[in-house]
Amino acid sequence: MNFALTEDQMSTLAGLDQLIDAVAPPAPTEPCPFYHSANFDRAVAEAGYLDIAREDGFGALDAALITERLARLPCVIEAAASSIVAPALAIPAGTRPLALGATDLRHASRFLPVAQVLLIERHDQALMIEVDQANVEPVETLMAYPYGRLKTREPLKTRVVGDGATLRRRWRIALAVEAAGCMAAGVAQVVEYVKTRQAFGRPLGAFQAVQHRLAMAAEIAESTKWLAWRAAWSDSEDDAALAAGFAQARIASLTYDLHQFCGAMGLTLEFPLHLWTYRLRALAGELGGASAQGRAAAIATWGS
Amino acid sequence: MEFGWSDDERAYRDRVREVLKRTLPVDWERIAVHGPGSDAQTQFSRIFCAALAKEHLLITHWPKAFGGDDETVWRQFIMAEELWAAGEPRGPQYMNVNWVGPVLMQFGTEAQMDKYLPPIRAGQAIWCQGFSEPSAGSDLAALRTSAVPVDGGYRVTGVKVWTSYARHADTCFLLARIPSTNGTVRGKGSIIILLVDMRSPGILVKPIPSLVGEGDIHEVFFNEVFVPAQERLGAEGQAWEIIQFLLQHERVGIPRYEFSRRILDRAVANLKATGRWSDPTVQDRAGRALMLCEAARMLVYHIVDAKARALAADAFGSLARWAIVQADNGVNEFLTEFVPEGLLGEDPVQQAHHQRAIVAGVASGAAEIQLNLAAQRWLELPREPRRS
Repeated sequence: MNFALTEDQMSTLAGLDQLIDAVAPPAPTEPCPFYHSANFDRAVAEAGYLDIAREDGFGALDAALITERLARLPCVIEAAASSIVAPALAIPAGTRPLALGATDLRHASRFLPVAQVLLIERHDQALMIEVDQANVEPVETLMAYPYGRLKTREPLKTRVVGDGATLRRRWRIALAVEAAGCMAAGVAQVVEYVKTRQAFGRPLGAFQAVQHRLAMAAEIAESTKWLAWRAAWSDSEDDAALAAGFAQARIASLTYDLHQFCGAMGLTLEFPLHLWTYRLRALAGELGGASAQGRAAAIATWGS
Repeated sequence: MEFGWSDDERAYRDRVREVLKRTLPVDWERIAVHGPGSDAQTQFSRIFCAALAKEHLLITHWPKAFGGDDETVWRQFIMAEELWAAGEPRGPQYMNVNWVGPVLMQFGTEAQMDKYLPPIRAGQAIWCQGFSEPSAGSDLAALRTSAVPVDGGYRVTGVKVWTSYARHADTCFLLARIPSTNGTVRGKGSIIILLVDMRSPGILVKPIPSLVGEGDIHEVFFNEVFVPAQERLGAEGQAWEIIQFLLQHERVGIPRYEFSRRILDRAVANLKATGRWSDPTVQDRAGRALMLCEAARMLVYHIVDAKARALAADAFGSLARWAIVQADNGVNEFLTEFVPEGLLGEDPVQQAHHQRAIVAGVASGAAEIQLNLAAQRWLELPREPRRS
């Protein structure tokens, strides 16, 4: 048991931070429901960060550290599926961006408008579907990712790339890691806001009612992060379901509080809080939601 | 970053389990049902801790110079997890090895160490902690018990409350205040620590009947109790420094989540045996309770890891304490809803867990104080202005 980053991990994250400083776009100046940066996505991929789990001596935990750091940014790129899910399946490096799809293809999928392939689970298999962007219809949504749905669902070029359980397990880990980054950034954004916003002659953050709920939010963010990293390290069914379920079960209360403390400002698109909270709300409904993860964790731990 | 146990640590856990299996009597659950402060468990703690001492497992984390083995922080914590999950058979004596002994080693005189450490090492000492008062709980600095300097020592007068183990204690680790000459209460600098013989004339202990088990909480009245000067720990004015040191040793706290996790395992086994486990709602809720236990475990491990790597303590401990309260109460809610018969005379261990869970947010500083600390020291939010 040792929670310290290794030299390699520190060096990797320092390199990523440099790339972020050089290439990642700053917070948007114009109101926008989501903030995808194709340029930054390409730069991160070309620098090899999303293939780290495929390298000797590295693994899913290293991919998780990178994904969590990227999820804290206001701009969104497809990192979690490429770096955490794909390496466990028969998906060649560089086949990306990936969209993780609902089993029912009539529904919209995250990242589909920018994806090269779509991954779905069907009949206990992980299926990869080649995406023809001409067949993708973008979906307008509050959820702060690019969403789209397939215009036609037949014929599709599909290939089995692994078993459904592996896809589900890695998807749970990826979801938890991404949620951890979004939670950390959302909490940090609101903490800064309540330190400066004055009401009744003092900062909002000096009111105990606000302090307690933000401390609870911080506990949720930290718990999500450590459960997610443990799941990435162990790559086990129970840890993956616990991490994803813990995050999903708490997203509603956490996002409610973060918006509440920013008042009406938190409901505007010019205040960037939604860029994290509406990613979280999107993640809350994936893989069947918290109840599905609760049952999966219970069965993985105690059997059916 | 590494989240697994080494072979050595796994072997150590196995050894602790083997010793527990061999040492705990068949009627241990009956002994443990009324809690660590009960007559039965206090009496048993003297047998059990003596046995642990013989196995070289009682004070393993103490320095070799004081009879320990300089064991690692992680081994100490593995031991704590196993013992707490077993119902804490050390009873009140967990305090002695966790912090009373280390505080004495750091701040005690030779005479104090010679007097107090041997009974702790032998597993025969019972201490109580005279901190809280009717008007000073989490705000410890408001304490009013007075220690008036007199020839050869101090005369102590005041009331302590919620004092665990007081009825059986040999010695009280007492905080008191030297009154100012003009009668006003002064700050932390006037607090002193006295090691008080609980058989001293003028001490009256009154158990307070409660929901949390026998012997856990008392009122202790000190009426002009004489305490010799040589029983003062540290110098006058040094008490707050000693308290901070003590809290450092306590910062990891009790691994309560481990008991919650084990009682959850036990409840699921019961639900399976009685055909109630296949209900998806029950599975979901059990899974959610498990999430809380494992979240608390990870945050506590974060603190143990920091201690193992000799990093300075920070306010992360307050986040962990909040997570522990969530875990204890989350599991308690699950048990109360899905195995209610356990609290109706069918499972003494579940009742013991319930009694530990309802005190989790109150003991060792209210959970709301932990939230204050997390907000102000972890998130660096501004302090709420004091009312004038």
